[in-house]
Amino acid sequence: MQATRCLLKSRSVWKGPHIVPLPIVRPEPGKKIAPIRTQARSATILPNFVGLKFQVHNGKVYHDVTITEEMVGHKLGEFSITRKPFMWGKK
Amino acid sequence: MVFLLGNNFHELKLVKKALESFYALGPQTSERILAKYSIHPRAKIGTLPPRTITALTAELSSMKIENEAKKVIQDNIKRLRDMGTYRGRRHAMGLPARGQRTRNQTETAKKLNKVERRG
Repeated sequence: MQATRCLLKSRSVWKGPHIVPLPIVRPEPGKKIAPIRTQARSATILPNFVGLKFQVHNGKVYHDVTITEEMVGHKLGEFSITRKPFMWGKK
Repeated sequence: MVFLLGNNFHELKLVKKALESFYALGPQTSERILAKYSIHPRAKIGTLPPRTITALTAELSSMKIENEAKKVIQDNIKRLRDMGTYRGRRHAMGLPARGQRTRNQTETAKKLNKVERRG
């Protein structure tokens, strides 16, 4: 069986998507769960992540990321910027 | 003058080059179209019978070329921007999106990396 090409994004098929074990809990109805704090920026977003909240590390702070359907196949790190925009004259 | 999909071409222009003048239609696709309608690779557009011209126009109008192809690229960039990805941000700033240096030599990125990309 082949993994879907959508999740691979130019990775070779035999490797499959880069799956990182994350502490994902299915929310019970009527209960809120805390966002998942992670430093695994290279983890591929899988279809079962949709609707979950993550806090993705950028090297300094954790940015909140809510996963939507079209983010599937991208990496978590793509949604948490690591660079500070340059402002002239501002520190 | 020969009329092909709303454009005028000189009779002495090669059919292959006339096809390649459309955006998103390159050497490979034009070769395939020539093979499909059994036109010689070095045939001039003036030598084609009108029946072939209408067939070519029908073929081209069913393909994703010119503005439709540009729309696809713009939609892809817009999707990245709306998702909030790093690549989308870099497009909005007009900077290289694949980790190239930005100290010098970013002319291509400045020209092309836009949310409403033209080229």
